[in-house]
Amino acid sequence: MENVLSILFCLTLLYLVVTSRIKTYVTILRIQGVLLSLIMIFPFLHHLSVHLLIIPIVSLIVKAIIIPRFVNKIVIDLDVKRIVEPSIQPFNFLLLSVFSMSVLFVSAHVLSGFTTIEPIPFASAFSAMIIGIFIIIFRKKLIIHVVGFLILENGILLFGTSLSAEMPTIVELGALLDIFVVVFLMGIVINRISSTFAQPDVTALGRLKD
Amino acid sequence: MDLSVSLQGLFPFVLILLVSPFLVGLINKQKAILTGRIGAPVWQPYYDLARLSRKETIYATSASFISRIAPVISFSAILFTLLILPIGYVRPLFSFNGDIIVFAYLLGLARFFQILGAMDIGSSFEGMGAAREATFAVFAEPIFFFTLGSLAFISGHTSIYDIYHSIQLDEPSALVFIIVSSISGFILLVTECSRMPIDDPNTHLELTMIHEVMILDNSGIDLFLYQYGSYIKIMVYAVFEASFFNPFSMANEWLGFSVFIVVIFLLTTVIAWVETMIARFKMKSIPQYLLFATAIGILNLLIYTFVR
Repeated sequence: MENVLSILFCLTLLYLVVTSRIKTYVTILRIQGVLLSLIMIFPFLHHLSVHLLIIPIVSLIVKAIIIPRFVNKIVIDLDVKRIVEPSIQPFNFLLLSVFSMSVLFVSAHVLSGFTTIEPIPFASAFSAMIIGIFIIIFRKKLIIHVVGFLILENGILLFGTSLSAEMPTIVELGALLDIFVVVFLMGIVINRISSTFAQPDVTALGRLKD
Repeated sequence: MDLSVSLQGLFPFVLILLVSPFLVGLINKQKAILTGRIGAPVWQPYYDLARLSRKETIYATSASFISRIAPVISFSAILFTLLILPIGYVRPLFSFNGDIIVFAYLLGLARFFQILGAMDIGSSFEGMGAAREATFAVFAEPIFFFTLGSLAFISGHTSIYDIYHSIQLDEPSALVFIIVSSISGFILLVTECSRMPIDDPNTHLELTMIHEVMILDNSGIDLFLYQYGSYIKIMVYAVFEASFFNPFSMANEWLGFSVFIVVIFLLTTVIAWVETMIARFKMKSIPQYLLFATAIGILNLLIYTFVR
């Protein structure tokens, strides 16, 4: 079942690559948050303890409710144009992502021969990281960079669950708090930047001088 | 092969021939209802076909013999795909190893002769449509091969009948397979049958269209063949998609058959809904949309190599 959910996670990644609307990006963040909490709830089903229930619930609240709402708020407050501006042809981006995903799946398959990782969650987690980085590189809007960072974080979280070793609860909670604070700070920073530039955009930042 | 088996194999053939205009009528009716109109009756495609069959066929003065044979070859190639496509338990008339490739290329042959026929007239308008059709066909072909091909690769069968019967619904990964394949199957249907996000079936004489512009100079029985062929094509892809759900492996035969009908009906609703809600894509973003479907197919292949 974890495999099923991680494959759905991969589908959302592919959709993220082809879409060109900020609204869809936020919706996908929401979907990924729900998928991740569903994936993380499986250890709880195996042995019932309140301990294991905390992280899925907290991540559902943070990743599926608070952060998307906050990103939406920034988009509305700053009156950002609703279309992402890629600095690369979407077609090439898709080709690149598919290629890197296939490489990751193949290497995960090879790795699963020696180690105890589960190949499909592992490969989906790594694809999320790579595509998150690609989004940061290939998109111009600053708010999309925040989303790219969050996708990358989702990948890291999924990566944690794909390893059979469990992380302590407090570490995962700390990571979630970290993400939340980072997004919060980025929101403030983008707010500040937008008071100087009309559209918070990477190209505008290139013109910054003393 | 004894006689009863061959007669059984004829059953899907006749069924699709009879039902396919009804399916298109159903799509158009639902589309009309969704946009707040009453719409033409569900039987309208039958009336259209009857009208076309009575009309005189006129050829352009610049047309060569290609224009005369193209509709016939195109239509008969589509008819032959019907003989390969299985519906349910019935073994189709032709079922042999490697028939997925024959299936894809018979449809390719139909498209090729349609393109030739369009270019033969010498109208620049139709040439443009032909060029677009050929371009998008290039992107649509991998979708088919990655979707059905990945399944063929995993099951080890290369005949459509065997492949569909190797799908087992009792494992959770089959759920993913159904989701993934039906998305790419739907995109394939939309592309091959020139439905909404790719092509607008309602606009005649618009610069944006692909399929409709290619049959502008055909009339009478030629137009009949093209129209009927396109109706059959929608039905073929609808059956193709519904078979992913493998309703016929269910314990109860009647339950399986009703699931099959419900899936096809739902598919018409989805097509009508998409055509109502979504505007046609810009020409330059269509390859990207099609590559998305191919990417899903590649994902399918990757997953299934590692799950089994």
